[in-house]
Amino acid sequence: MRNLGFGLGLRPDHYEALLADRPRLGFVEALTENYLIPGGRPLHYLERIRARYPVVLHGVSLSIGSTAPLDARYLADLKALVDRVEPQWVSDHLCWTGVDGINLHDLMPMPYTGEAIRHLVPRIRQVQDLLGRRILLENVSSYVAYRSSDMTEWQFLAELASEADCLLLLDVNNVYVNSVNHGFDPDEFLRGIPADRVAQIHLAGHERQESFIIDTHDAPVADPVWALYQRSVRRLGAVSTMIERDANIPPLGELLDELAVAERLAGVEAAA
Amino acid sequence: MSLVSLQRDFQQEVLTRAPRVADDLAGAERGDLPARLGAYVEGYRGRLAEALGVPYGALRKVMGPDAFDDLARAYIERNPSRHYNIRYYGADLWQLVVERNPGEAGAALGELARWEWLLADVFDAPDDAPLPMEALAAVAPTDWPNAAFTLRASLRRVVLATNAVEWWRWANDLASAPAALAPAPEATWLAWRRGTQTFFRSMSPLEAGAVEAVAGGATFGDLCEKLAADVEETEVALRAASFLRTWLSEELIASFAIAGHAG
Repeated sequence: MRNLGFGLGLRPDHYEALLADRPRLGFVEALTENYLIPGGRPLHYLERIRARYPVVLHGVSLSIGSTAPLDARYLADLKALVDRVEPQWVSDHLCWTGVDGINLHDLMPMPYTGEAIRHLVPRIRQVQDLLGRRILLENVSSYVAYRSSDMTEWQFLAELASEADCLLLLDVNNVYVNSVNHGFDPDEFLRGIPADRVAQIHLAGHERQESFIIDTHDAPVADPVWALYQRSVRRLGAVSTMIERDANIPPLGELLDELAVAERLAGVEAAA
Repeated sequence: MSLVSLQRDFQQEVLTRAPRVADDLAGAERGDLPARLGAYVEGYRGRLAEALGVPYGALRKVMGPDAFDDLARAYIERNPSRHYNIRYYGADLWQLVVERNPGEAGAALGELARWEWLLADVFDAPDDAPLPMEALAAVAPTDWPNAAFTLRASLRRVVLATNAVEWWRWANDLASAPAALAPAPEATWLAWRRGTQTFFRSMSPLEAGAVEAVAGGATFGDLCEKLAADVEETEVALRAASFLRTWLSEELIASFAIAGHAG
């Protein structure tokens, strides 16, 4: 997958600034569901912004890991949006968001089992066949682990990506969060995932609780995540990288400054 | 434990707070499992409450953030989300508003909730182009009785009998605060989008009836017939034409067709 450089999550707060200031950005990542609406302002801006920047789509509702059937309405709407926007690629999360017709609007973790892989593979293939392209699946933050898991998260990701022939969106913050929450070595995670399938990297902020970390996307990227990002670039090479901010959204300039840090760290690795 | 049961149990615990999934989770010995599960249980409620604050910003301001949060939490306990898009969560919040706030104030708050949801629907309704005034210049006089009009896709109507819209204006810094949440003369309100901007206004009963007729497929001839029940015969055509001019200038109409004509 082509390296688009350094990008940002597209947020309505920044629509006007993006169009007026035209900052140097490799790409913007639009949240799929924000544009799965009939018309109006969000789609109006997305059309204008996609004329200036490469766009990738990032969803939260595919619920690829749910034991409920894939939502036919969602898939049809997603396909229509993909046809309209022609994104560079489409991603969602390796998780489930609900069963029995209910949506928790959360990224619920999967158990790392063979049963889960056998469940996921045909569903991923179904989505990829529908969209006519490989999708990226993102590793999610989790606060609990299942007793039934019989492999590590990175073994699970590697085996799944290979079996389903999908790509990966590596969220470095989520790797760090999970390494703290579940007590593993994040570098072992990096070594365990297939580098040739990582097509995009996410960076984001988190919130430390007493004994674990919650993935909040409401703060600047934390120092240990920057350090892990640098090691990710060393392991994976140059991969399209972006910062996600979903709450406490600062002015665009602040995020661009933060993105410059990512670019500098990646540059240091490239030069090494 | 199968994947099906695991997901069902986890979801039930998130929805009801009743312990269902702890036995399937590792790390019980650490002692922080309730807090970790709480990240899902409380996160669910927090996310939906935040989502309700988006379309219902004026209701939140009028009720006050604490009262609105209580309302949202009560709604969430009763109503899981059934749409993949959180944008569509909370369409019937007004019912709980009225249930929890009896009397005139509750009626006005309920209408404010309905009004805000309607505006949210206008905001992201399908795009279409307004019919230009000039498009009607070529209509032959004999065709006018058979001319039928399609209203803009974003156009919504609602009958309100309180001062909810005044409170909405106040909440959006467009007017000073009304004296109270109170009944008001019943009126039909119209909201629609021009480009990406939302407009709204109230209508006279005569115009509201005319819009309703057009929305139902009435031709210009039908419209004149309908108006004849309330307007002097000599005024009917003028009044119908006047409505049409207003609707065209306000971009309320998307297209027209001559009934019986192909294309």
